[in-house]
Amino acid sequence: MTFTFTMTPSDLLLLLPEILLTSWLCLILIVDFSFPRLPNEQLAYFSIAGLVATLGCLAWFDFAGITGTLFSNMFALDRMALFFKMFIVGSTILVILASIDYIHRFKFFRGEYYFLVVMSALGMMFMASANDLLSIFVTLEFSTIGFYILVAYLREDMASNEAGVKFFILGIFAAALLAYGISLIYGETGKLVLSDMTTAQATPGLAIGFLLVFAALGFKIGAVPFHSWIPDTYHGSPTPVTAFLSIAPKGAAFAILLRMFLVALVTFKPIWTVLLVAVSILSMTYGNIVAIAQKNMKRLLAYSGIAQIGNVLIGLATGTKMGSDAMLFYLLTYLFANLGAFAIVIAVSEAIGSEEIDDYSGLGRRSPFLAFSMLIFLLSLAGVPPLAGFIGKLYIFVAAINEGLYVLITVGLINIVISMYYYLVVVKKMYVNEPHDRAPLKVSGPIKAVVYICLAGTLAIGIYPQPVTDWVVSAVLSFSTLADPTASLPVPPVITPFGG
Amino acid sequence: MGDHALLYILFAPFVGAIALIFVSNRQTMLVRGIAAGSAFVSLLASLYLFFAYDHVKGGFQFVERFEWSRQLGISLHLGVDGIGTPLVLASGILLFAGIFVSWHIKDRTKEFYIWLLILAAATIGVFMSLDLFFLFFFYEMSVIPMYLLLGMWGSHTKKYNEMTDPEGLKLRDSVGFILNFGSNSKEYAAMKLVLFLSAFAVAALMGILLIYKYAGLNTFDILVLREQAKLMNIPVLGTTLDKIIWVLIFFGFASIAPLWPLHSWSPVGHAAAPAATSMLHAGVLMKLGHFSIIRVAFEILPETTRELMPIAAVLCMFSIVYGGLVAFYAKDTKYVIGYSSSSHMGYVFLGMAALDYISLTGAVMYMFAHAMATGMLFAMAGWVYDQTHTRDIPSLGGLSNRMPFISGCFVIACMASIGVPGTVNFIAEVMIIVGSWNKYPLQVIVAVVGIVLTLAYLFKMMRGLFYGPMDQKYSHAHDAVSAADRLPLLIMIAVSIGFFFFPMHLYNVVRSGVDPLIAKITRVVPVASQDRETLSVKREAQTGGVPNRPQDASDNASRDTLHASRGKE
Repeated sequence: MTFTFTMTPSDLLLLLPEILLTSWLCLILIVDFSFPRLPNEQLAYFSIAGLVATLGCLAWFDFAGITGTLFSNMFALDRMALFFKMFIVGSTILVILASIDYIHRFKFFRGEYYFLVVMSALGMMFMASANDLLSIFVTLEFSTIGFYILVAYLREDMASNEAGVKFFILGIFAAALLAYGISLIYGETGKLVLSDMTTAQATPGLAIGFLLVFAALGFKIGAVPFHSWIPDTYHGSPTPVTAFLSIAPKGAAFAILLRMFLVALVTFKPIWTVLLVAVSILSMTYGNIVAIAQKNMKRLLAYSGIAQIGNVLIGLATGTKMGSDAMLFYLLTYLFANLGAFAIVIAVSEAIGSEEIDDYSGLGRRSPFLAFSMLIFLLSLAGVPPLAGFIGKLYIFVAAINEGLYVLITVGLINIVISMYYYLVVVKKMYVNEPHDRAPLKVSGPIKAVVYICLAGTLAIGIYPQPVTDWVVSAVLSFSTLADPTASLPVPPVITPFGG
Repeated sequence: MGDHALLYILFAPFVGAIALIFVSNRQTMLVRGIAAGSAFVSLLASLYLFFAYDHVKGGFQFVERFEWSRQLGISLHLGVDGIGTPLVLASGILLFAGIFVSWHIKDRTKEFYIWLLILAAATIGVFMSLDLFFLFFFYEMSVIPMYLLLGMWGSHTKKYNEMTDPEGLKLRDSVGFILNFGSNSKEYAAMKLVLFLSAFAVAALMGILLIYKYAGLNTFDILVLREQAKLMNIPVLGTTLDKIIWVLIFFGFASIAPLWPLHSWSPVGHAAAPAATSMLHAGVLMKLGHFSIIRVAFEILPETTRELMPIAAVLCMFSIVYGGLVAFYAKDTKYVIGYSSSSHMGYVFLGMAALDYISLTGAVMYMFAHAMATGMLFAMAGWVYDQTHTRDIPSLGGLSNRMPFISGCFVIACMASIGVPGTVNFIAEVMIIVGSWNKYPLQVIVAVVGIVLTLAYLFKMMRGLFYGPMDQKYSHAHDAVSAADRLPLLIMIAVSIGFFFFPMHLYNVVRSGVDPLIAKITRVVPVASQDRETLSVKREAQTGGVPNRPQDASDNASRDTLHASRGKE
């Protein structure tokens, strides 16, 4: 196998967002080192400016339909990649905005914090385009290195250190699995590019290889049974990092999962549907049931995140175009609701220094704005109309019922009811219980901005989803073998327990 | 107004709720004014809707349609038929009355009205949805406001605040509040209500999704599905698909109705809720169940409905008797009314189960009539609670000296609830009983026993509250004196009595919705002459109100067909 690198300026154009962000990344470091007295907010706004420019560039690409592949198909810039890149950059902007108040807790290296966040975002942007086993490995590790440091950023906090060590050990383990899986797949097929593998024969080596790759990606998205790092890491990390960790890497990993299952393994759909159904059922049920017992808001959101990933996997398990549309849609609703909820956790912990659910008592009296927003975000996560989460869940269920995944839908519906309970316990604390201390809470400007953006997203998608639906449909349309629009039409009635 | 009446009815409360967000809680009068204003717009539009509905033409009128999601086949398709129209009106009346009933709420007034308006608007949305998705959307949307209204402004049963859980924690602060240690707190009631209704709602959602899939039309539109969906005779798991869907839809929605044995959330929820919420809850929210069954199961699965509706006929007997007996022994005012409501909803199920023109018309009219009667009762129970801070009947008594207006209205409300001639409830009850006698004589006998039970427990409560010796600690209790306090009761009394003397428009409207439905289910053409006989007794004041249907010419012949087909069944 030979690689020929003949790059033209127009090829370089495809990399423009990444190049832009890379140069900005260097600028952030230079500015930080050259002006040590620069206030932190200004560095944050400086980073955001670069991210906004990147977002604008991506939006222009999406609007103008600029797509293509580079480096012998290693790097694919299709509209799905553009969707996920915008998803990642957007969530990074919100996370940096939400970090501005939190940053004073770090004793050292405040400037480098922004550098690391943007660097991880850059890694994840590459992940969204990875179309080849090698680039999957490289980009995945590239994005994770930033997180290893970020998770342990509270140097004097034992919990944060513990979180860092746990995340690091398990992350390295996942990386090893990934490398092993890749070597097995390459040994069996002799190919590295995902879209070349569609004709591969089912051999035990290939099956184990893909299973290992799936395990590594399952670690990234935090699906049961690869979830064990999630609660402690989420709990110990600085809250903005938790927020970042809970959304952006999952988006990037789903981009790879979509390419892997719907392009490389499309011929083995009946087999992996069963696998994904099982993982999805486990994630939803485990996440929701364990979340009931949580007393800490971050842990609650960690377990609820595991359950939400189970819901997204329903879309993947369908293996249809509609299922993929629904996944993208769901991830977008999850972005707004989850980041919004974490922004409020940050605001509350800044004001009262606690993240225990019990300390949310009477939030409705102390800060009606925060309590109301939290209510909206939690209900969106639970899937209550007219909020975005409801449409997302329904979209996924409709996609799944078209494929006849009855067992999965039944479990998913039951899980909605279970999740309703623990979200409402928080609502009860906020609105029904009386506050321990009646002093009103102060909310800073940047956090307010994040909450307003997330509220707007949650309500707008819930009330009129058509523009977003059109967007995700066109994003999935151009990437896979599922481009045929009839692929999502209902199949003739056949009743089987799992379908497929 | 005119053609877009539905949009005004549906969105006026939403607009009011959004406007309230920007008002300060300190400007109490402004808050009340905005709430009352938006409810008034909704009420006016629903009155217009009710009287402008053309019962000769029938069918779905005032239709609005906006495409909402192409990929999922969803459109915001609104429209009312003869069944939806009176229920929209009832919601409008109860919302407007409810705003005034909760005039004296001091704690977080603004938030209270916001959630009340959203609750009412969501309820109204169900009554006018012609799209399965939006029907479910509004249905589910009405549940969460209930949680907050109960949780924040509700009340506990007595002595709850002193109770502790096995670990010695105050029950209020204990995580075990959901386990109900022998008492019903408002938190418990709210959580039970939400979990119960959500659990059954997802069953209904499963049914809706199955309809969507097997119709294969990529649409949730009820009007398309009822014409084109072919769901019959697909074998599944030893039975047929349509039966599974029907059972999911029926029990999914019957839980909110509430049909025995799915009723247990309901009286607890009624009891904990503040007065205006109980009114909306018992008045219209419970009717969402019957309405959704009619709209989804009757419209889309008529054949299966004919086959399986006897299930409702059996369960409704338990509803009636069980609810009545518990109400008789209950010692808490709101429990009595709550159980009486769930008992009375059994009549509606009986009227629906008989699948007869008269009985189904009676059932829909009964929903309307019951909304007024139970609305009054809850409003007054709320007033008594606000004045005395107890709902315990044995500790109350003799309040008629302190509140003559309330006690007078209470007598009228009891009469209405029992179905004494002079109230529209009487007409509806008679129609249910007459309509279902041929098919379900046993159930009719039970229903009559139920009426006697109603009489017993309501009179017992009336005596317990208003007559006999009065405890001196209640000597400061006030009557409803101001216009704002009297207005809601007077409106509901006027509606209740007014429709007894002028029932024909209500009857014609409902009948125009019932006719095509029953004709489709029983495959028997409507017999216009039959209702003329039954109603002739109380229609002396009215003349010539019966719509001229083409079937009128062949009265006798079609009646014979009707009896013949009944014989076959």
